[in-house]
Amino acid sequence: MDPKPNDKRSVLTWIEDRVNLTEIISFLSVFGLLPSELDSRKRVREALGEVMRRPLPSYARWPHVLGILSFILFLFLGLTGTMLAFYYQPTADVAYSSVTLIARDVAFGGLIHQVHYWAAVLFLLVLGARVIRFFFTGLYARGREAIWMVAVLTFVFATIADMTGRLLPWDTAGYWTTIRAREVTDALPILGPITAFLVGGSGLDSLVLTRYYVLHIAVFPLILVLLFYIHFSSVRRVGLSRVDRAPGTRSLRVAMYDLLLLVLFMVGGLITFAVLLPHSFGVVADPFTTPPDAHPPWYLLAPHALMEAFPAFVPKFLRGLIPEIMLAAVLFLPFLDPESGSGTRRRLFRNVGIGVLLLWVVLTVAGWRLEVGR
Amino acid sequence: MNDDRTADPERRGVLVWLTRGFLALWAPAAAGVTTTFLKAPSAEERPGERQLKVGSLSSLAVGDARFVRHGTEPVYVLRVGETEVLALSAICTHMRCVLKWDREKELFHCPCHDGVFDRQGNVLSGPPKKPLRHYRADVRADEIVVHT
Amino acid sequence: MSGVAWLLRIAAVVVLAAPVSAQDAPTEAITLPGGHEETKPPARTVPAGAKPKGTSKMCGVCHSEVRVKYEQGAHDREGIGCTSCHGGNADAITVGSAHTGGYRGVPARRAIPALCASCHADVTKMRFYNLPSDQYALYQTSQHGVLLAKGDSNAAVCTDCHGVHEIRPPEDPQSRVFGRNIPSTCGTCHGTPSFQARYKRKDNPVTDYRKGVHGRAYLTGASDTAPECTACHGSHGATPPGVGDVEKVCGQCHETAREYFVGSAHKQAMDDAGIPECAACHHSHNTIAVAPQKISTVCQECHDEGEPPLRVATTLERMIAEASEEIAKADSLVAQAASIPLYVEDYRSRLQDARTALLESAPVTHSLDTTLVEPHTRRARSIAATVSEEVDEKLSSRWWHKVGLGLFWFYLLLTAAIITRARRRAAADSKR
Repeated sequence: MDPKPNDKRSVLTWIEDRVNLTEIISFLSVFGLLPSELDSRKRVREALGEVMRRPLPSYARWPHVLGILSFILFLFLGLTGTMLAFYYQPTADVAYSSVTLIARDVAFGGLIHQVHYWAAVLFLLVLGARVIRFFFTGLYARGREAIWMVAVLTFVFATIADMTGRLLPWDTAGYWTTIRAREVTDALPILGPITAFLVGGSGLDSLVLTRYYVLHIAVFPLILVLLFYIHFSSVRRVGLSRVDRAPGTRSLRVAMYDLLLLVLFMVGGLITFAVLLPHSFGVVADPFTTPPDAHPPWYLLAPHALMEAFPAFVPKFLRGLIPEIMLAAVLFLPFLDPESGSGTRRRLFRNVGIGVLLLWVVLTVAGWRLEVGR
Repeated sequence: MNDDRTADPERRGVLVWLTRGFLALWAPAAAGVTTTFLKAPSAEERPGERQLKVGSLSSLAVGDARFVRHGTEPVYVLRVGETEVLALSAICTHMRCVLKWDREKELFHCPCHDGVFDRQGNVLSGPPKKPLRHYRADVRADEIVVHT
Repeated sequence: MSGVAWLLRIAAVVVLAAPVSAQDAPTEAITLPGGHEETKPPARTVPAGAKPKGTSKMCGVCHSEVRVKYEQGAHDREGIGCTSCHGGNADAITVGSAHTGGYRGVPARRAIPALCASCHADVTKMRFYNLPSDQYALYQTSQHGVLLAKGDSNAAVCTDCHGVHEIRPPEDPQSRVFGRNIPSTCGTCHGTPSFQARYKRKDNPVTDYRKGVHGRAYLTGASDTAPECTACHGSHGATPPGVGDVEKVCGQCHETAREYFVGSAHKQAMDDAGIPECAACHHSHNTIAVAPQKISTVCQECHDEGEPPLRVATTLERMIAEASEEIAKADSLVAQAASIPLYVEDYRSRLQDARTALLESAPVTHSLDTTLVEPHTRRARSIAATVSEEVDEKLSSRWWHKVGLGLFWFYLLLTAAIITRARRRAAADSKR
C-alpha cells in the first residue's frame, strides 16, 4: 500500500519496512554517542524513545567533556577537511595556489580554512588537557590502562597529524616549520628513521608533499578513528570515571541536549576565533630562501632544546633517546604505577609528573629562546 | 508541570511553530554554506591553468605591442607575424621598472636607466643583464591567450 | 772540448727542448668558492703537437722560467718568438751563437712602447688579427706617454699593464687587463701610497674605487656593465678627465642624468669655478649614489643653509620622501591585504608603476628644476595614494564580518536558550 506523502509516520514506516534503521542508528553507540545498542527488533521511534528515557548516572559532568569534545572536534575536522579536499591539490606547483583559491575565491572558503585551523589547535589542546586530567586524577590504573594508553596515543597521533597538515598550504611558514621539524625528528634514534621512511626521505618536494597529504587525510584519521573506537568501547566496559560529588540520575535525552549545546558553543567559538584571530596567510614557499624566523613547531621545541643545548659529550642518539624514553614512560605509566590510589606512592608519582611537566615547559622555553636568540 | 503549558493553547501553538522555524533555519544556513563552498570556480580561476585573454588578434596590428596589466608582472603582447604572437614581461630586469614600447624602433625602453631590449626581449644596451621573461602565448580563434 | 762531451751536450739540448706537454705543465691549486681545492692545468694549454713551430724552443733551454710564462701568452700561440723583441738567433745551440745577430737583451724601459709599436702600430700586421693599431698613438697622448717622453721612468709602459712575457689577451680571465683584474693592475702603482706620494697625491683611487658603488657593483659581479678604471680614464690613452669633461665621461652611461645636468645652472657655474661637475656631489673614485634623504647634506658642501639653492634641495628631498613614504604605506597595506588573503595583484602592479615614476625622478633632479621633478614624484605619490585608499577601503569593508559574527552569536545564544529550556523540561520529565 502506498504511503500518504503528508503522513510522516507512514513514510518512516515505509522506509523501516525495507531498511533496518534501528540497526544503523545503533552504530552510533560504537562511538559513544549512545550508551548502548538499540534493540534492532523494535521500530526506531520506540527503540530510541526507550534509550532516551533510560536513566543515566548524571556524574557525566564538566571534567568528562574533554573526551566527547575531542571526538566532536575530530568529526568537525573531518567535515571541514573533506570540504577543503574538494579544492586542494597536493603537488608543489599548485598546492599554494589551490589553497589561495580556497581562501580567496571560494565562497566561505576562508572561513572553512580558518575554522579547520582553529579546530586543529583546539583538538590538540583538548587532548593534551585530557591526558593531564587523567594523570592528576589517577585515571590510569585499576583496569583503565587501555584508556590511558589510548589517550596518550591519540594525543601523539593528533600531534603528528597536525604536523603533516602544516606543510599542505606550501607557504613559507608551513614549509620551513616542516623543515625544522624534520631536523628534530630525523635526529631521534628510533622514531626518526620510521618518520623518514613514511614521508619518503629527508628532502621536501612534491612527492613528499603528496605523502604528507595522504598521511594527513587518510592514514592518521583512520588511526584516530580506531583509537576513538577503542576508547569508547573500553569506557563502556570499565565505566565512566567517577567524580567526587554524589551522582544522581538523568535521562539520555537530557544528555543529548547537553551535547547539542556543546556542539553549538564549540562551533560558535571556532567561528569567532576564525573571524577575530585569522591565521595569517603567508607567501608561497621558496626552498632557496630561509626566513629568519623559521623554527620547529611548539610541541617539538623541547626535543629540539635537548638536541641543541645539551652538553656535546653526550652522543646525539642518547640525547634523542631522552624524549623517547619520556614518551614511553608516559605511555606505560599504568604499569609503572599500577596502584594509583595509595597515599605516599601516589604523591610521589604526582610530584614526578609535575616535575616532568615542568621540565618539558622549561625545555620548550629553552628551545624557543634558542630560536629567538639566533 | 510548568504553567505556560496550560496557557492559551492557540498562542502556544504559534509559539512552538515559530521556535521550530527559528531552529530549522540552521539547516538551510549550513546547507547554503556547504553548497556555495562546493560550487566549482569557473575555468579562469582554476589554479594551474591561469590563462589570460588579452583581446583579439585582429585588433593588434603586425609589429605592434599591447600592454597588459596582470599581477605583479605586467605583460607585453607583441604580434610578430600574421599568426605569431609573443608575450614578454614588461618589467625591466635591472631594477623592475615598467618598460615602454617604442613603436617606431620596435624596442622596449626603460625610463629609469635607459635599458633597451629588442622585441625578442634581449638586452640591447643599458644596465640590465638578463633578457625579459617570456610567457607562453597562443592564438585561439582570433583570441590571444597568455599562459601565466 | 772532447767529442764525447760535445755529443752529450747535444743530447741534453735535444732532450730538454722537447715540447712541454699538457701533462708536464705545472699545475696550480685553485680554491673554488665552495671551499674545496682542485688542481687544474693552467688555462689555454695547447695540446702537444698542435702548436706552431717552436718559437721559444732554443731560448727556453736556458730561460725555462721565462719560457713557461711565455707559453701562457698570446704571442707564443701566434708564433711570435723571443727574437721578435729580444733579437738574437733562436736556432743556435750554443749560448754564444744564440746571443748574436741583432741581439738586444732586455729592452730599455723607455724603448718598450716603441718596440711594441713596431708591430702593434703597423696596420698591415694587425689587420689579420682584427686588432686596433692606434694604441701607440693613444699612448703618446696619455699621461703615461707624456711623462715617459719627459723622462719619467716611473710612467707605465706597455709591459706594466699587459705583463712582460705572459701577455694574455684581455678576454682571458687570467689576463692582467681582463675587466675585473684592471683595478688591481692599475693599483700596482696607483694603489700604492708611496707611488701616489711621489706625484704629491694623498688619495688612493683604487681603494676608493673598491668602496664606491661602481667598484662594489662590478667587483662583486652584481653588474657586468659598471665601469672599471679604463671605462672613465681610457686604457692606452689614460688621462684624468678635465673639469668640463666629467659629465661627458659619466654621461656615457648616465645619459638621462647628463642631459638634465647639462641643461642646469650647475654646468656653467661649475665649469667657471673649476668644480669637477658630477664628482663634486658623487665623488670621483669613491662614487656614491646620493640617497634622496641626503640631497641637502650633499648640497651643503657648497651652499649655505637658507640660501635659495638649499631651498631647492629641501624641496626635492621632501617631494621624493613624500612619494616614497606613500609607496611604503601602500606596500604595507597591500601586504596586510595579501595575508588575509585578498586580491592584491593589480595593486602590486600599480605600485610597480609608482616605483618606476619615483626612479624616473632621480635623473631629473640634476636639472635642479623642481617643476620638472614634480610630475614624476606626483605621479608616484598619487598612484600609491590611490592604491592605499582602495586597499584601505577593501580592508575596512570587512567590518561586516564582525557584524555578521555578532548576528551569528545572537542567533546562537537564542538557539542555546531554546535548547536549555527544552533540556530543563526533559530533566523535569525524567524526574517525574
